[in-house]
Amino acid sequence: MTEENKLASGNLSYMATVRAIVWKDLTMEWHTGQILSVMLVFSLTAAIIYNFALYGSLAAARDASTGFLWVTILLAGTLGLNRSLMAEQENRSLEAILMAPIDRSAIYVGKVISVIIFTLAMEAILVPIFTAFFNKPFWRPQVLFILILGTIGYVAAGVLITSMTVQTRTREVLLPVLLLPLTLPVVLAAAQVTAAYVAAVPPEWSEVQFAVSLVVAYDIFMVTAGFLTYHYVVEE
Amino acid sequence: MIKISGVTKKYGMNAVLRGVDLHVRPGEFVTLVGSNGAGKTTLLRIVATLMKQSDGELLVGGWSIPGDAEKVRRHIGMVSHQALLYGDMTAAENLDFFARLYQLDHRQERVAEALQMVGLLARQRDPVRSFSRGMLQRLTIARATLHEPDVLLLDEPYTGLDQEATRLLDDLLSRESEKGRTIFMITHDLARGLDLCQRIAILNRGRIARIVERQEVNAAEFLALYGDVTRSVKERKGAQG
Repeated sequence: MTEENKLASGNLSYMATVRAIVWKDLTMEWHTGQILSVMLVFSLTAAIIYNFALYGSLAAARDASTGFLWVTILLAGTLGLNRSLMAEQENRSLEAILMAPIDRSAIYVGKVISVIIFTLAMEAILVPIFTAFFNKPFWRPQVLFILILGTIGYVAAGVLITSMTVQTRTREVLLPVLLLPLTLPVVLAAAQVTAAYVAAVPPEWSEVQFAVSLVVAYDIFMVTAGFLTYHYVVEE
Repeated sequence: MIKISGVTKKYGMNAVLRGVDLHVRPGEFVTLVGSNGAGKTTLLRIVATLMKQSDGELLVGGWSIPGDAEKVRRHIGMVSHQALLYGDMTAAENLDFFARLYQLDHRQERVAEALQMVGLLARQRDPVRSFSRGMLQRLTIARATLHEPDVLLLDEPYTGLDQEATRLLDDLLSRESEKGRTIFMITHDLARGLDLCQRIAILNRGRIARIVERQEVNAAEFLALYGDVTRSVKERKGAQG
């Protein structure tokens, strides 16, 4: 289809729009490294503090390590979300995107994908560090799988909430106040599954099935909610 | 091309636009002037589909806003006093991103042509953050016209520009007008507003107070007319007080 026909018929490819948003976010991060660096500095500092604070009681530290990992991901993710969405407010560049003849939900999907990429990149560095510090098998495929699933749900909710709060003057306060309670179900379930799979004896599927199902259901719910409501969020 | 009929915009009890009527013909350059708070930016944002009117009818190229907003967006480009660009990307990357968004063919050629047109080809690999205000505004025009829109919306495009940058922007806008693009500009700078347009409208207290053909008035006459309109409003205010 020619460009004129594409524009005239409104038949712009949804996935091409999503790719454009992801390409833009990755290009900006390639130049500045701001999102990954802020997430990594925070998460590495947190990991070191946890490790040294509980140095005297290694057993307690190991028992709590799954909780530490998810708290670190949660808070570092909040920093990354804020930075990623703030970039759209500088020079009001989001308005230029909103004036393009695209389905606005594609902006949401694109932002979710790029923030997931940043968060997973941070987790790729964080997991070996937690494995080394706490001597727990965070590298197990089941653990990595639940980390990915939990990250999807958290970021899907995060992009939606951050898109609302980033337009307000009190965004630094509003984001954690709204996002952290909203993501509690997915984080609790994911942390429970993670803890089960880093135990000395891995669990039976039936033991974690409910929690995994909860994480998957949350992911589907949040992505669908964001997809359906994003255009209201960015509308004046 | 742009038909605004009885458009109102209210924020709670406060009406910013109170039944605006204005018709911009295809290929015409119309300037809308008015003092701060007259409702100019609100009206332009409604035409740009960034905001919904409370009441009234608005058609761009025959498409209704907000009903056919997505269709309208194919035919509009906007230059604001804000760059609407990403400071951390280069000039070429910014245009490439918008070319991807509009899914234009031959992206690289189009981006190079657009940069050439605004005289920024030599700076294509520089981050936008390092650009002067004038360069930013030229790049903004390249971004807004990349997809060859029929309608160009200008929101105070001369804000913060020095004389040289103003002259360059004048040239660019004249060229865009000669290409047959419909241009709708809002500004509080009466001299600039009058310079390029074919018709000029005065928005006052949320209503179109006057519409004047450019060739019918000189700058002094228009300034006097503008003064009359705003003075009469002040007098009304005084009488009410």
